[in-house]
Amino acid sequence: MRLKQLLISLLFILVSLTTMIQADEEHKGANEAQTTAHKEYHPKSLSELGVSFLETTGIKAIVDTNDGEMSSDPAGESKEHKLGAFESSFGRIIMILIVFLLFYLAIAKGFEPLLLIPIAFGGLLANIPLAHMAGPEGMLGVIYNMGIANEFFPLLIFMGVGAMTDFAPLLANPKTALLGGAAQFGIFGSLVGAVVLGFDIQDASAISIIGGADGPTSIFIANRLAPDMLGAIAVAAYSYMALVPVIQPPIMRALTTKEERQIKMGVQRRVHRLEKLLFPIVVLMLSIMILPESTPLIGAFAFGNFAKESGVVDRLSDTMQNSLINTVTIFLGLGVGSKLAADKFLVLESLGIMIIGLLAFSAGTAMGVLMAKLMNKFSKEPINPLIGAAGVSAVPMSARVVSKVGAEEKPGNVLLMHAMGPNVAGVIGSAVAAGVLLSIFK
Amino acid sequence: MAEVNYVMEALKFMVLGMGVVFLFLFILVIVVELQAKLIAKYFPENTPIKTPATPAVDTEDESRRVAAIIAAVTEFRKNKS
Repeated sequence: MRLKQLLISLLFILVSLTTMIQADEEHKGANEAQTTAHKEYHPKSLSELGVSFLETTGIKAIVDTNDGEMSSDPAGESKEHKLGAFESSFGRIIMILIVFLLFYLAIAKGFEPLLLIPIAFGGLLANIPLAHMAGPEGMLGVIYNMGIANEFFPLLIFMGVGAMTDFAPLLANPKTALLGGAAQFGIFGSLVGAVVLGFDIQDASAISIIGGADGPTSIFIANRLAPDMLGAIAVAAYSYMALVPVIQPPIMRALTTKEERQIKMGVQRRVHRLEKLLFPIVVLMLSIMILPESTPLIGAFAFGNFAKESGVVDRLSDTMQNSLINTVTIFLGLGVGSKLAADKFLVLESLGIMIIGLLAFSAGTAMGVLMAKLMNKFSKEPINPLIGAAGVSAVPMSARVVSKVGAEEKPGNVLLMHAMGPNVAGVIGSAVAAGVLLSIFK
Repeated sequence: MAEVNYVMEALKFMVLGMGVVFLFLFILVIVVELQAKLIAKYFPENTPIKTPATPAVDTEDESRRVAAIIAAVTEFRKNKS
């Protein structure tokens, strides 16, 4: 009985296979006229072979600036152009050196290695002559089209970040959420700065989002508003996030007095499990009502957090926090790296982006600290102004920096949990700010 | 047509953006505080009852088991002799 069934099914498979092959052959026959057939092979002498090989080496492609090589773009030929003399020679070499600098920063200095390594390696691959890895058929181009051109990867990252975030410190002291709002001044302040510097207002908005100190949000917005600058914006966002321990402390010290930095904050209350469970829903409901433009980001974030706090789908939340976010990080990094090709990155605008990015981070930090000072004046419970600096998102780096500076001023003063409140509020704040920018340019 | 002053535009964006961000977070703070009050009122936590009870039960259980083993062993020896 079994054997009979097996034989019949085998027969079916065979029949369907043969018909498929026949169909395929017919298809091929129809297409033969269009597809380029094998070139007829002419016998070549050894010297001819050698010369034709030399024509295809990378050295030749770099030295010969006038070989008519095309740039590659994931969007395809419509966006490609003939490479200039600089772009196809020194440009590549400079970019490869920049990539090596990024490697150095990531490995020796520990600057966001999880992202800088894939991004920088993607940049290295994108600068290989003749291989067209960033083109629509190259590896980087395929990755780019798969998840960056359609904003899918940043959302997946946001989901993972949501699953990793614990909102208890924010729920214990909700008022500190306002600090996360104040720090978003970095975005809008630098928007004005970018316009003054001469950027088009739409490009300026895309650049200023670096002030949100949030990698996925920056990529999301850059892709919508100024896709050509994506590489520079992402690299600026991630490098400044890595530089948070260098940029923030001087600003924090300059704007506060010694007494203020030594303020001790009370112990946080215990947070009920239900509060944590309801929080992502509350945030999502608010964004649905006020700013649906921000719901792709906040929705993904809320889903990740809800899965974590529900407590019944640990397997899913574990996947989001670990394997999924790691996989996506690899793709995101390589895809962003494809925009580090010399013809896209070595433009004057990149320098402007770097300057505005620094401005944005500093302005955000300063405004957060000032807002915390103000709140300290009017609040019943003491608030250490340092925690305002954690309002720029950069989770959890800036909260750690705050804690470190606080502990330096007064040993034993642990501000970490207090700084986490504005820190996670900063993530929500920058997603809202992103939504506002998107709603303006709809 | 008059030249558009983009710096003014950017300043307007700033007012709108900061306004919306603060409004959003302000409402969020109010809702979260309200939610904390409601939850504290209707779902008070009752965790402290359980924790001290467990170790006491454990030690008692352990001594009973030891007693049972001793009893069994003495009974077995008695039977043997």
